[in-house]
Amino acid sequence: MEKKTVTRAGMNRRTFLKVSGAAGLGVASATFGVPSLLRAAPKTIKIGSIQPVTGPLAVIGQGSRLGNQLAIDYINANGGINSMGGAKLELVLGDSESKPEVGRQEADRLINEGAVVLVGPFQSGVAMAIATLAEQRQVPFVMDVAALDAITQKGYEHVFRVFITAGGLVAGALKYYKTVTEAAGVHPKRAVVTNTADPFGKGMSGGFLKMLKGSGLPVEVVERIQYPLGIQDLSAEVARIKAAKPDIIFPISRIGDSVILLRELYKQRVDLMGIFGPGSPGWYEPEFVKDMDKLAFYSMTNVPWINPESPSYQRGNAAFLKASGKNLDTNSAYAYTGALVIADALERAGSTKTKDILKSLRETNYADHPVVGGAIKFNDKGDNTGALTALVQIQPDPDLLKRVRIVLPKDFAQSENIIFPAPQLWER
Amino acid sequence: MNRLHLLLVLILAVLSGLPLVLSKYTLGIFIMIFYYAYLGQSWNVLTGYTGHISLGHALYIGIGAYTSVFLAQHYGLSPWVGMFAGGILASLVALILGFLGFRFGLRGVYFVILTIAFAEITRLVVSHIEVLGSFSGIFLDFDPSFRNFQFRGNIPYYYIALTMMVLSLAAVRLIEISKLGRFMVAIREDEDAAQALGVNTFKYNMIAIAISAFMTALGGCFYANYIFYLHPDSLFGMGLSIELILRPIVGGMGTLFGPILGSFILTPLSEVSRAYFSKGGLEGMHLILYGIITILVVLFMPKGIIVYVRQWLKPLIPERKGDD
Repeated sequence: MEKKTVTRAGMNRRTFLKVSGAAGLGVASATFGVPSLLRAAPKTIKIGSIQPVTGPLAVIGQGSRLGNQLAIDYINANGGINSMGGAKLELVLGDSESKPEVGRQEADRLINEGAVVLVGPFQSGVAMAIATLAEQRQVPFVMDVAALDAITQKGYEHVFRVFITAGGLVAGALKYYKTVTEAAGVHPKRAVVTNTADPFGKGMSGGFLKMLKGSGLPVEVVERIQYPLGIQDLSAEVARIKAAKPDIIFPISRIGDSVILLRELYKQRVDLMGIFGPGSPGWYEPEFVKDMDKLAFYSMTNVPWINPESPSYQRGNAAFLKASGKNLDTNSAYAYTGALVIADALERAGSTKTKDILKSLRETNYADHPVVGGAIKFNDKGDNTGALTALVQIQPDPDLLKRVRIVLPKDFAQSENIIFPAPQLWER
Repeated sequence: MNRLHLLLVLILAVLSGLPLVLSKYTLGIFIMIFYYAYLGQSWNVLTGYTGHISLGHALYIGIGAYTSVFLAQHYGLSPWVGMFAGGILASLVALILGFLGFRFGLRGVYFVILTIAFAEITRLVVSHIEVLGSFSGIFLDFDPSFRNFQFRGNIPYYYIALTMMVLSLAAVRLIEISKLGRFMVAIREDEDAAQALGVNTFKYNMIAIAISAFMTALGGCFYANYIFYLHPDSLFGMGLSIELILRPIVGGMGTLFGPILGSFILTPLSEVSRAYFSKGGLEGMHLILYGIITILVVLFMPKGIIVYVRQWLKPLIPERKGDD
């Protein structure tokens, strides 16, 4: 009797080891997921997001990652994936460091961690490395942002793109240019194309010039001016522009040289009907609009753009503003869209099997998104047939945020009124 | 066969068996370890043994990658052959560079500048050649077959990379024990003294740079068919040149196992820390950690980690006899 009580109450070294060992095992197996079958918690579906969150594109990459994340949060907050019993989505995170081989390795890690779909990666080079991996591992890959046409030209089965292609971007520029000039009944005859002599500038202007030549539009490019990225003075270039007597300028520039170009055009009093960017960052950035004020008015740019009126944008923007203090911009909005498209495909697939997800992605018809464009549908190459650019024009408004307005396509326009030809820079 | 050899055989046996137990992703880490160890070893032939610092070795990776891909795309040549064509072309370019450098006695920083200049010029030239994809780069077709040097899974890549690493090790060992190797080390220790003693320094420098470039270029072909995307900036850029010399520096330059040891330390460190800090909120921590460790090694172990490993392994290394 007495003996029994002692053994029950006390704990000698051996029993302690046994107990703690068992407990340890339990903890270990829980962490390593051994008894996952026993856990009745709702299923989670992993989506791998690869963005350049460190390196030269870190700011954009972090915005894109947040865009992916907020879309997932939105779906989860609204009950997850209903067709799979309210399964929650989980974004597993990868960092490409802007390097193709790192992007590939990260994508492989996320697949290894159980990601059933991949989203990302902002850069075309990284996209190509991941596209081949997706094909090798047979995991669907939805590109939120990546423009180079070549990525989808291989006919890979597992690769989809929400963003517009580079070819689509240039085609949009010509279409809008035609609409604007025809609506105004004014046809500029002489044009100057300016571009930065970096890969982006050269590629963009090369594609634009080629398409413009084949378009039959009554405009002749009388001068093409290239200058290095990061240039501090454009007085000589603008003197050449002035001497060429253009009616219109097609600039392909960044924010720094856009400012210098515009100031110099004003200083040298170059007569122009207007400025039309075929796909040029810079001319719509908030800082540019603020600093250039009247000089920035009436310039037009063709660009993949947000659709601020859409409920999806307003939802996404509110969440984005709360999380980062910034507005949802084109890149993060496309990242938001990419993750929404995946969630939509999973909902219709009702399964996490690659075959089912692929089938469901191919049948995508998704209109509730925050960017300018039609319903997202993928063609046999995986490109989004609904992808569109917008033409934005800077128009006078006391509120800086309201100056950048979508003028085309009509369905998305924030202003009915396209001002072209524009008053001269010094007459404003 | 002494105990050290036994240890090496054991390690090799373990590495050969890993694909049976590891996931594709983990194999991917090992592929990167072998790849960077191989590149580090190739660089080691020139810089580690002759002491001429090359900061432009990406040049040869780029030449190897672009040549083999170009020949495969336009002439249907298997990369298995194309890689050697790339190696030969890289050697020729290296000989031109070497001629300019060694013939005119460029040493130290001047030689470094020469290597950087060659890589940068080539990067800019390739960026403007249309058939080489210019600045958008080349996106390879994925058509898995042995002939095409392309595979669906990671296992074939794993064995190819492992073989390349082991062969590079063997090649460097052969060089090390040959007359060539002795002359190279003599040049590293004191080029003028070596010349005074009758070593044809120009000739042996040229041989070293040609071998180094040839080996590096083979790595480029592997990269191309593993990543499937070539871009002038990532293949000829300074970033890659620096990336590939970090491992031999950390491991131990001018030693047989230094580059391999360095790669076994740095590559998993960067992979695992990136995976660990990727959970959000700590973006970039892995790069900071990577930087700190590299700085610490350079500060406190200037001859590389290999020196310490040698001490641990001392009982395994047979006593050298005579004046060997």
